[in-house]
Parts: sequence; structure tokens; C-alpha cells
Amino acid sequence: MTDRPTIAPDAPAVIEARDLKTHFQGHTGLINAMLGLKPPTARALDGVDLRIREREIVGLVGESGCGKSTLGMSLVRMYQPTGGQILYRGDEITKAVGRQLKDYRRQAQIIFQDPYSSLNPRLTIGQVIEEPLIIHGIGNAAERREKVIKAMELVRIPAADNIDRYPSDLSGGQRQRIAIARALVLEPKFIVADEPVSMLDVSIQASVLELLDELSRDLGLAVLYISHDIATVGYICNHVAVMYLGRIVEEGKAEDVLTRPLHPYTQRLMAAIPRMDPGEATERVELRGDVPSPLAVPPGCRFSSRCPYTTPLCEAVEPDLSDQPSGQRVRCHIHDDRAARAHPELTPPRPGLVTETADAGILVETLDHA
Amino acid sequence: MAASTPPRAGTRPASAATLAQLAELNQRLAWKPAARLQVEGLSIGYSTLRGRFHAVEDISFEVPAGTNLGLVGESGCGKSTVIKALMGLQPANTSVSGRALLDGQDILGLDDRGLRDIRWNSISLITQSAMNSLDPVYTIGDQIAEAIRAHERVSRATAWARAEEMFALVGLPAGRLYEFPHMFSGGMRQRAVIAMALALNAGMLLADEPTTALDPIMQSQIMTRIRGIHAHMRRSMILVTHDIAVVAETCENTVVMYAGKMAESGPTADVLERPLHPYTMGLQNAFPRLPVPGAPRQPLISIPGVVPNLLLPPPGCRFASRCPFATDLCRTTAPPVVRHGAQVATCHHTDRSEEFRAAAARPETWRNMRGAA
Ligand SMILES: Nc1ncnc2c1ncn2[C@@H]1O[C@H](COP(=O)(O)OP(=O)(O)OP(=O)(O)O)[C@@H](O)[C@H]1O
Ligand SMILES: Nc1ncnc2c1ncn2[C@@H]1O[C@H](COP(=O)(O)OP(=O)(O)O)[C@@H](O)[C@H]1O
Ligand code: SF4
Ligand code: SF4
Ligand SMILES: [Mg+2]
Ligand SMILES: [Mg+2]
Repeated sequence: MTDRPTIAPDAPAVIEARDLKTHFQGHTGLINAMLGLKPPTARALDGVDLRIREREIVGLVGESGCGKSTLGMSLVRMYQPTGGQILYRGDEITKAVGRQLKDYRRQAQIIFQDPYSSLNPRLTIGQVIEEPLIIHGIGNAAERREKVIKAMELVRIPAADNIDRYPSDLSGGQRQRIAIARALVLEPKFIVADEPVSMLDVSIQASVLELLDELSRDLGLAVLYISHDIATVGYICNHVAVMYLGRIVEEGKAEDVLTRPLHPYTQRLMAAIPRMDPGEATERVELRGDVPSPLAVPPGCRFSSRCPYTTPLCEAVEPDLSDQPSGQRVRCHIHDDRAARAHPELTPPRPGLVTETADAGILVETLDHA
Repeated sequence: MAASTPPRAGTRPASAATLAQLAELNQRLAWKPAARLQVEGLSIGYSTLRGRFHAVEDISFEVPAGTNLGLVGESGCGKSTVIKALMGLQPANTSVSGRALLDGQDILGLDDRGLRDIRWNSISLITQSAMNSLDPVYTIGDQIAEAIRAHERVSRATAWARAEEMFALVGLPAGRLYEFPHMFSGGMRQRAVIAMALALNAGMLLADEPTTALDPIMQSQIMTRIRGIHAHMRRSMILVTHDIAVVAETCENTVVMYAGKMAESGPTADVLERPLHPYTMGLQNAFPRLPVPGAPRQPLISIPGVVPNLLLPPPGCRFASRCPFATDLCRTTAPPVVRHGAQVATCHHTDRSEEFRAAAARPETWRNMRGAA
């Protein structure tokens, strides 16, 4: 698993999201109902643009609850988006139903985090992998078996020894490979891998990541790789997108985003990752508090409640994604003066200038009162 | 669960008497010395339906007062088993032998009373699953205050005031002490457990994967707190984790466990920079690192195979089925514990470690092992 193949910038997208939104309707409490109030809406995914091309692995990172899984589930149409578009090879499938939806679901598969509960324990491994073929009415028994064996070969689990065993006989890493085989048996063109290795030991997660990498090269798969473990993203992704509260705040080549992050949020996310130099605990600027609730998305920049550089402009106007000379795209007024020029009366943020608005407890915490 | 929402009040104003008692309590707790822990020949056997087996076999290490020790290894290799035995939390029918001297006192054979005396007070625990260490039917504040009052003769108001201070320390608003555990998010619960574990300023803190499964920001917040508090108050700690970068940042010494045995131990810098044991080398390779600007991507190398079944441990070295350097000797004879300076490793071939380290950095070395296991 070394450098990823380069993807031509004009290569056609396998999957594309345009201003994609998935809002969840909360429950109407009794009091709200009596007052005639509408139930609150969780804006879990709130306007995302993303393209993934053949042989490309796009990493998606961000704190818990920022909407990564919602994006993954929406792209494979396990959630119904409430706005925007999903294009599969140029065809719009956002509202596809019936036959068209079923066809799409064959092409777009998702792998989940937990290799221990995602496989039906009562089915043999062969049956687990065969199940999607049956659901989609593909082939006769002999043809299906052949496809199952081929899928097992792809994930390097010898079929002869394992096809009649049960998932409980396998290690976590092997089970996760079975889950991948199950996704591959339909010969999809797009896979969402939602934290596929976070329940696995480091000693075996490398083999699963390596497998994803090889499959995307060999089968030309487009992959969305969702992970908390940002270091793993650096190994297998061409492109990285950073999400915050339902939107992408920075995206670009994996190397650029991970080593030279521009958005204040990405910078803090990267600083949070422990480094390997013994005894060198870096003095970290701590990011305080939690991601605001998607039920109450702040006006202006979504990161303004936690950003050290926040100014009145940030609190009033949400920045757009802007193209940077380095090739990244960033959603921050520091890197884009269009909003500042449109609103000269509002103070814009400046690089490295920690503001008083922000100072209220966001910055370095001393533990003197311990 | 309680039907009504508990008051979301902020801090109750403390009386002058409470404040005076709190100052006295804080001072008393601050004077507690850091503890020293010496573990010698610790073996732990579980009995299961399929038979008895040793989950931990003959482990020895020392945590000098005021230092942190990292305990690393794959899941199932016995890390939590060690921690539970040190807290006297092993299930019934578990055999525990060896010694664990906490400031000279053997804590392995303690009866319930003896355990009650030391728990939270001299040795405290942050577990892998915070939810299990909190009682769902009491508010978090009540649980912390009661833990304090079980060991210190102070009023309820004083104990509560101390709990408020602990909450501030872990970055939780005092008003949330009135809430029940299920009302907290995962990260907040983990912080509440840390507040509880620190409330009596125990000399020894056991932290069993305190941040596993949390997102990086939350992990960093929690580790920064634990580290800061420990450095500031000079406590001792055993930190169980599979994140060797966290160990590198936090722990002076490291113990690497494999299949119930100690594979390697020593000063963290030595163990991570010049590992003697092939398993440590494998863990190092498999650990993902952030890219370095301009440098080519390093390969990520997995260790082939799986941890052996402890019910039927292999005769020789337990790592032999996955070790690219295994010889016939390794497969038949259990390796000795070999000391190189401050570093110790259980391997027949520690004298070849330099050669192994060079070979271990190449993916082929491990890839050729495939199918062997
Ligand atoms: N079915 C649902 N109904 C209501 N709200 C939801 C639903 N699914 C997700 N949400 C909310 O949407 C937001 C985004 O959730 P999502 O699961 O996408 O986060 P995530 O980025 O995948 O987090 P994690 O890293 O913890 O997996 C969260 O606030 C979550 O509570
Ligand atoms: N209560 C128990 N009864 C029987 N076996 C157990 C029990 N707890 C753990 N084990 C076994 O002991 C071994 C070590 O487990 P554990 O200490 O939890 O490992 P780690 O914390 O390193 O992941 C494993 O094989 C595990 O299955
Ligand atoms: S500087 Fe302003 S626009 Fe940029 S991230 Fe911070 S709050 Fe948002
Ligand atoms: S004793 Fe042999 S098999 Fe075991 S770790 Fe050392 S070289 Fe490898
Ligand atoms: Mg998720
Ligand atoms: Mg454990």
C-alpha cells in the first residue's frame, strides 16, 4: 500500500453529490403539538458536494455526530435525502424507486464498523455472501456459488476451508473481510466503508485497509472511506473531505489536507492526533466543547462557536467553499475575502489573530487549579 | 428511570463551613504521596466451560512512584485481566497467583474490607466502558460524593463541592452533576468516570483504554486532562491502550503483552525505537502514522495470523506461528526472559534484534509468512 494511482481531474465521477441534504424530523412533543409548533429538524447533512471517480478513495473525517454516516447512508440510498441530488454515472438517482432503485443498490454497497454483529450468526459464511445474490435474483445455485467463491478469493479467505464455517469461527479481521466479500459479490462500482477497521486490532487493520486499496485499483471501485482514525486515511485515500456539522469545511489531496490543513477546524483536528515521538507531548490548543446540535445550527460559520479566530463576520455570514492556490477547497473567511468585501461593516477574521469574542474559555486550559 | 427531570441548577452557593472543610479536604488529599507498584510473577487463570486456562502468565513489572506505565498488545492478550486483578475485580473462580505490592502491601489477597479500603482511595480505575462503572439509578453527583464520603469524614455538602471541582477539572459544568448517566453522551460519561477516579487523588490510577472508540478530538481532550492532572499532581498510572502513539506521549515505561505473557518491557523510548521482540516490531509497523510532508508514503504492514488459543497454547514461543524469524528452537522451547540494559524481552534471539529490526521494516518479511498461520 504505497502511493495511490493518480486520478485525472477530468475523469468522470462514478458518484456525485450536489448540495445533498438529509434532514431528520424530530418527534413532536405533546406541548409542542398543543402549541401548534413544528417538531425540530435535525440538519444532519446540510448541503454537501462531493465527487468520487473510478479507482478513487475519498476519506471522510470529522468529529462524532458531524454527519459522516448520514452522508454515507444517503449516498447508497439507505436514507432518503431531503434535498439536493445524487448522480450515479451521470444519472440522477436521488428519488429513484422500484426497479431503478434496486438496480442502483446493486451498484452501491456499504460496509459497517462492527464485524461482530453485522453478519447473521445462523448463516454459514457461504450463505452470508450468497444472500445479496438471492435478494437480487441473480443466477442459479451453481452460478451463485461460483460468484461466492470468487468474492472470497478477492478478500483472501480460502473458500474451500471456510465456505461452510460460521462467522463465529472467524477472527474480527476475517469477519470484516467476509463483510467486504458480501458487498463485492454484487460487483458494485461504489462502496461506502463506514469505519471498517475501527473495531479491529492495529495488527490486522492494515490487512483490511490494504484490501480496500487493492480492490479499488483492481476493480476500479470508487470508495468513500469514513474514519475517526485520520492516520489510516493518509494511507489509502487520494482525496480527503473534512466535515463539520453537516457540511464539508475543507477538502483536497490527502497529503495537503493532512499535512498542511488550512481550515481552523482541520488544524485542530490534526493537532489532536498523538504523534509518535516518545516523550514529546505537544502543547495542544484544545478544542473545547462539543459540536453544536444539528437541531440548532448556528447562523454564520458553523465553527464560529469554537473557533479561536471568530469575529462578527463569522457569526453573521456563512463562508462558501473557496478554491485555494494550493489546490484545497476551504470554507473560511480567512481564506476567502468575498464576504468581507460584501459586508465591510463586519470585522473579518485574520490569520493567527485570536479574538476576544473567541477567547472566552476556548484557548489553552491550565490545570493550575487541580 | 426517574420520571421528572432533575433540577438543572448551577452551583449551589457553598456555606463558609463547607468551604473551610473543602479546603482542609483538598489539602489532605494533595498530601497523598504517589504510589509505587511492584508486580511479581502475576498469573491469572479463568475457568470456563471449555476448561481452565491462564489468561495471564508470569508477568512482572514495576511502576515507580510518580511515573506512567503503558500496557499494550492486541485484544485478548490479557491487559484488562491484569487490571481487574489489581483492583480485585476478577470474577469468582479465577485463580490469581504472584504478588502485587502497592507501596509494599500485597493487594492481591485482600478480603472485601481490605479492598474497600484501597479502592478509589489508594488505587482507582477508569474502565473501557464507562457506562459499566456508573450506576444508572443514581445521579452522577451522588455517586462521586458517596465515593468521597466512604473514605473521608466530610459533610455531604463538602463532598459535593469536591465533586464540583472534579467536574470543572474534566470540563463538565457543575449543574450536570444532578443528571443520570444515561443523559450523558459517551465522551461526557467517560469524563465523569475520570472525575470519579480522581476525586480522592489516589496514588495509583489504572486507566483501561480510557479513550478507545472516541473521536480524535474527544480522545485528545481526555488524554490531555489525564496527563495534565497526573503530571501536575505527580500520580502514578498504568495506561492500557492499543494506541502506541498515546503511550509514546504519556508513559515513561512500557510493557508489551502477547497471548498472556510479557513479550517486552522497558523505557518507552527504547522499546519503541529499538524493539528487541519481533512482536513489538510488528506492532510498530502496523501502527498508522500521519504522512510527513514531501516524504513517500510508508507501507502499512499487518501481522499475519491470529493470537493462539490460550486453552491450547503452543509448546514453544507463543508468537512463533506469526513470527517471521521463528526457528525450530522457537517452536519447541519456551523462550527465556533476556535483559539488555533497562530493556527486557522474552525471545530466543534478542541478540539478532538489530538484524530483525531492519528486516521487519520490509513488507515482504511479513507477507511471506502468509499461509503459514
Ligand atoms: N435517524 C436519525 N434521526 C435523527 N437524527 C439522526 C438520525 N441519524 C443521525 N442523526 C443525527 O445526525 C447527526 C449526524 O449523525 P451521523 O451518524 O451521520 O454522525 P457521524 O459523523 O457518522 O458520527 P460518528 O463518528 O459518531 O459515527 C447526529 O447529530 C445524529 O444524532
Ligand atoms: N471473565 C472471563 N472468563 C473467562 N475468560 C475471560 C474472562 N475475561 C477475559 N477472558 C479471556 O482472557 C483473555 C484475556 O482477556 P482480556 O484481559 O480481556 O484481554 P485484553 O484486555 O488484553 O483485550 C481472553 O482470551 C479473554 O477471552
Ligand atoms: S475564522 Fe471565522 S469563518 Fe473561519 S473557521 Fe473560524 S469562525 Fe469560521
Ligand atoms: S522466540 Fe523465536 S518465534 Fe518467538 S519472538 Fe523470538 S524469534 Fe520469534
Ligand atoms: Mg458514524
Ligand atoms: Mg481489554
